[in-house]
Amino acid sequence: MSDSFDIVLNGERHRARTGETVLRVAQRAGVHIPTLCNDDRLDAAGCCRACLVEIDGQRRLQPSCAWKAAPGQVVHTESPKVRRHRELLVSLYMADHKLGPDGLPLHTTQGNELRAWAEATPHKKLTQVHAPRAARGPDANPYVAYDPALCILCAKCTRYCDEIEAVNAIALSGRGSETTIATAGTRGLLDTTCELCGGCIDVCPTGAMHAKQAPRFLAKAVFEKVRTTCNYCGVGCQIDLNVHQGKVVQVTAPPPGETVNDGNLCVKGRFAYEFIHHQDRLTTPLVRRADGQLHPATWQEALDTAAKGLLRVKDKHGPDALGFVSSSRCTNEENYLVQKLARAAFGTNNVHQCAAT
Amino acid sequence: MDFRGAQRERILALLAERGGATEGNVRAISAETGVAEADIWGAGHFYGLLRQDGPKTLVCDGLTCMALGAEDRKAALLAAGHDCAPSSCLGLCDVAPAAIGPDLAPLAADDRPCHLSPNDPELPINLSGPRSAAYAAFARAKDLGPDAVIAEVAASGLQGRGGAGFAAHIKWTGVRGQADPVRYVVCNADEGEPGTFKDREVIRQQPEKLVEGLAIAAWAVGARDIYIYLRAEFERERRILVDAIAKATAGPLGGYVFHMVRGHGAYICGEETALLESMEGKRGMPRLKPPFPTERGFRGKPTLIHNVETLACVPDIILRGGERFRALGRKEAGAKLYCISGHVARPGIYELPLGVTLDELVAAAGGYVGTPLVFSPGGASSGFLPMSERGRPLDFGSLAAVGSMLGSAGAVVLNDTADLAQAVVWQLHFFEHESCGQCAPCRIGTRWIHGAMRHYLHSGDPAALGDVADVAWEMAEGSICGLGQIAALPLTSAVQHFPERFGPRPAAQE
Amino acid sequence: MTNSIPEIEDCDLLFVIGSNTTEAHPVIAMAMKKALHKGAKLIVADPRAIWLTHHADLHIQHRPGSDVWLVNAMMHVVLNEGLHDQAYIDAHCENFEALAATVADYAPEMAEAVTGVPAAQIRQAARMYATTKKAGIFYTLGITEHTHGTDNVYCLADLVAITGHLGVRSAGLNPLRGQNNVQGAGDLGAHPDNLPGVQKVADPVARERYEKLWGVPLPTKQGLTLTQMMTAVEHGAVHGLFVMGEDIVVSEPNAAQLEAALNRIEFLVVQEIFPSETMRFAHVVFPAGCFAEKDGTFTNTDRRVQRVRGAVQAPGQARPDWQILVDLMRACGYPTPAYQNPGEIWAEMSAVSPRFVGISHERLDRDGGIQWPCPTPDHPGTPTLHVDRPMRGKVLLRGVAYRPPVEPTDDAYPLVLSTGRVLYHYNAANQTTREKGAALKVPNNFLEMHRYDAKRLGVKDGERVRVISRRGAIEVAAMVSPRMKPGLVWMPLHNFGDTENRVNLLTIDQGDPVTGTPEYKVCAVRVERVG
Repeated sequence: MSDSFDIVLNGERHRARTGETVLRVAQRAGVHIPTLCNDDRLDAAGCCRACLVEIDGQRRLQPSCAWKAAPGQVVHTESPKVRRHRELLVSLYMADHKLGPDGLPLHTTQGNELRAWAEATPHKKLTQVHAPRAARGPDANPYVAYDPALCILCAKCTRYCDEIEAVNAIALSGRGSETTIATAGTRGLLDTTCELCGGCIDVCPTGAMHAKQAPRFLAKAVFEKVRTTCNYCGVGCQIDLNVHQGKVVQVTAPPPGETVNDGNLCVKGRFAYEFIHHQDRLTTPLVRRADGQLHPATWQEALDTAAKGLLRVKDKHGPDALGFVSSSRCTNEENYLVQKLARAAFGTNNVHQCAAT
Repeated sequence: MDFRGAQRERILALLAERGGATEGNVRAISAETGVAEADIWGAGHFYGLLRQDGPKTLVCDGLTCMALGAEDRKAALLAAGHDCAPSSCLGLCDVAPAAIGPDLAPLAADDRPCHLSPNDPELPINLSGPRSAAYAAFARAKDLGPDAVIAEVAASGLQGRGGAGFAAHIKWTGVRGQADPVRYVVCNADEGEPGTFKDREVIRQQPEKLVEGLAIAAWAVGARDIYIYLRAEFERERRILVDAIAKATAGPLGGYVFHMVRGHGAYICGEETALLESMEGKRGMPRLKPPFPTERGFRGKPTLIHNVETLACVPDIILRGGERFRALGRKEAGAKLYCISGHVARPGIYELPLGVTLDELVAAAGGYVGTPLVFSPGGASSGFLPMSERGRPLDFGSLAAVGSMLGSAGAVVLNDTADLAQAVVWQLHFFEHESCGQCAPCRIGTRWIHGAMRHYLHSGDPAALGDVADVAWEMAEGSICGLGQIAALPLTSAVQHFPERFGPRPAAQE
Repeated sequence: MTNSIPEIEDCDLLFVIGSNTTEAHPVIAMAMKKALHKGAKLIVADPRAIWLTHHADLHIQHRPGSDVWLVNAMMHVVLNEGLHDQAYIDAHCENFEALAATVADYAPEMAEAVTGVPAAQIRQAARMYATTKKAGIFYTLGITEHTHGTDNVYCLADLVAITGHLGVRSAGLNPLRGQNNVQGAGDLGAHPDNLPGVQKVADPVARERYEKLWGVPLPTKQGLTLTQMMTAVEHGAVHGLFVMGEDIVVSEPNAAQLEAALNRIEFLVVQEIFPSETMRFAHVVFPAGCFAEKDGTFTNTDRRVQRVRGAVQAPGQARPDWQILVDLMRACGYPTPAYQNPGEIWAEMSAVSPRFVGISHERLDRDGGIQWPCPTPDHPGTPTLHVDRPMRGKVLLRGVAYRPPVEPTDDAYPLVLSTGRVLYHYNAANQTTREKGAALKVPNNFLEMHRYDAKRLGVKDGERVRVISRRGAIEVAAMVSPRMKPGLVWMPLHNFGDTENRVNLLTIDQGDPVTGTPEYKVCAVRVERVG
């Protein structure tokens, strides 16, 4: 059996691989299909219904995120029926969503895919349904918050918590229009199995799950994302430092599929960045003076004092009376320089780092 | 099945045993089973009987009961000191307006026998006939061999009697043909469609026929374990079944393992994949299809799942032949259990040729009470039809042709004392309350359309219904399962057939 | 790691030994949990019932320090039941007969006395592992922080090799590095035996490359490891230290002795981002920029070189470490170039390092992370090592004999103390104790113990206890926990800002003879109620 074949998307033939979904084929072909609940890391849920398409031979519209491509399949993503469905579905979502003064779903710092979809899709203004979707009780955790007014119940957060983080701290609860994202007993996250990885924030398409300590409604233009490598454990997660007015105000994960961490982060990588701007940071060189105390000094004085001190030990006891402790916390280039300092400048192999693992 | 799944399957029953999904119960059960607290909490709070704070007297708010005075009944019960809560249809439409006690048993006043077709040995199920535990059909099935059994079912033309009317033998063939040696047979006894109470009577009157039908099905598809998912309110029926099963498995059905699984108050679990989710200890949210249960069902294994009545027809088909069964019907095959309630003389269950008309059905039930105005042929999901359709055959095809459905054949007749718009609101309330909440068209749509209809009743202004057609269209086209797809039908069908009843009306008195 | 992080989710079996992955490497644990979601099986070997055991098909709760016995017994089963990969052994391994002779003495039935693990569990684990092709082994400090840490690693490597799990996708032997750049720091020569680019000081060809590059003759004398350096400070053989980004007073074992020595040291330079305990003894302190304030690269645990990019300015006069180091070298009279950016530093090194030649900052900016070896600019990097054959030609099977930990328990010190990480803190915790969430989740140090031990000592959950080893005593709160086995107690390795009661006042400074890594995982203690 061949492992690839053609399907017909909007009248054009496109190559598909065995096991691929129609959505995946369309994405590769550059055919846009809206989705709100799809994440390639998670099992297809097909619950947001945004990605429904028409497939010849099927009486009903089918979710392209779950529907497997098959040889010769004929798929329509822009038929009148599909378009009408999208227009009415986005209208229904908006009837169950907090709208801004412009009548569209609220923009948040982390974006709002429903807003983007509404901007791109004709829709009608339906009466708001005011769903009785419960919020969480008092929650002392400093990181993750849930705003039911922006929740579209795509369940990406609960599925992420189940399938990827596997701590199952949050789950869908209630039924029908009362359905909400809940913890057991609606307790605060600190009193649950939550490990505060914050993955629920990153997967949320609408900003309903959001970072408590980050500004919530920043326009895209006023902050910058700098891609770098996390400074905690050895996994080497890629992170995006979100910088606003010279400060790191939030850390987000790069999109799934792009980096070694596949869009995942842990509590430290995502939230433990307060230290960067902490008041305890060392901000000036210090030199121990005659009184036996460390005093602020200029860089020139500090560098001269250090050089003299190290050279004196070398002169007195030889190069192997010096030890250079480098750091697995610092960059490759800095480690290179420390060993160069030891070997080239002082002539000793006494250089090491905390290499326990 | 892995160890995680086995623990998960226990949690709903544990919650029920201990009085519901309270924080303390959830914590304790999590510690015992290793299932995460949030999963237990979230699953528990899906089910009406697990999330209420303690057992209560449940007053039915189904269409028949509401039309026959459920509000007055509730007032009387409250006055008598009952702690009352509303419940979706309790499957007691024959004694409407109905209520059950905190022990889930019908109140004494409601505990009277159901009107049934008279004893007639020619009928396949024959509710009034004598019970028999001979299991002769099972013996004959073994003689025939699985392929011949399935051929007989095919010859009978048996359609699923839970609502969809899908040809039964295709499911049997599908499961039998799977490569996986582990298969299951599941009986859907989560009867909950408003106006429907036939499965209840099958279990009360002819439990052996169900048990035998299950055993024949299991034998034909190569399953050993049989699961019966029974709605919680059928406590008496559960005892009857357990007793029949114990005797059967001590005798001729010794090779099979029957498992009773209790429902916990969620109409959607009558949808076959939601039922499977519920059996796995999860929220009863329907799965995407494909894959169909015949391929990946309970625990991901091939599963044959049928309604009670469908299975109870099987012994007759095997004993007296598929052709004979087929000939009992008119345009479609077989005899059918019809439920009839509302404004009729003898509400009950009548086993009649598939394709009788409403008039024939009501004649069997002693005639109309008052001047009939409107009827719902197959439960809430079938919407409303005008009396001009009283001569239309009540079968799957004929009703589908007018945008309705036979469904579970729970027919309800309302006479001209009823306020149709009010009846529509009751039905819409039911669907909003019973929507699982998984997909947006249904979750938002059922609430929107219920709200629009209430607003109309309140204001008297038809403009409130202006967007109904669009929302109903999206619910029908966009929803995952049948519930959302038909949940607007009570309103759209009523408006279609009775446009004059949805014009301007006096604003409701506060 | 012989294999890559993205391969984990496709494993059919995960054998996690001595790694509390969920707490120490949460994002790798997520990849593992994804594999489990896809149907993989999980074996966890750990003395504690760590979080990962909730998901495990088999939890082997062996005694700390008995890893060699356990793994040898697994190999015993593999060979006895013919589950080994004879073709792979014949083609790619040496010394098989000696290995077979060694493990012949390690029958599972005899293992229970030393390891505390029933023979049936060892057999089950051996069979599950040997009969699954895509079976990866993952380990961390639980394997290495022993006086026989190298033996533990050899033993696991033997198991991997004889079952043919080397060079196979989603299999292999995978140490999970505990710090962001512990891999890179070693690769770049912050090691007494290694020159930058994973080249040996002892290798004259490599040495010559660097002598030419740096314009000075290079020392050939054997250098000291960190643990040896600290001992040398204590013994008066080392008189001056330069310490960058490491709070040695907190992180090194047997801290009391080290502090005394640092009081006498002639010269100490500390380069740090926060005030540290070590700073108390420093003559000069340089304020450095943290990772968000500088450019460069880190190399992660699967040998992936990735960019670090500055996003904000360092506070006050603090400067990136690389700039400080350049200035210091020049102040010391060594004319290192005045690099414009760390990309130039990388280029200087990679030009003479065959395994890194293909990697440049420009390429990393364009392509993202690259896994070394990467010998040419158009080489894609190497996700899985040893694919066609072992890199060094043949795998030398070691056949390691069991040696007990150096400090046995006795009547005076009857409990085994082991240390490790908690999710919310990071190493010395200079950074994480300043975080709200960590402070709420795990505010203070604690001693985790089984209820049996707690009851015997009359200690209740949350009560203060004194923990005493042959080297020191500290006071912490007791945490009575179902995760422990009787006889075993456990403490986080982090400093919670309570210097008087840090765990390394108790631990042993004896290290592994090869790596120098101290035996943080096993020391003998006794516990007393306070008051």
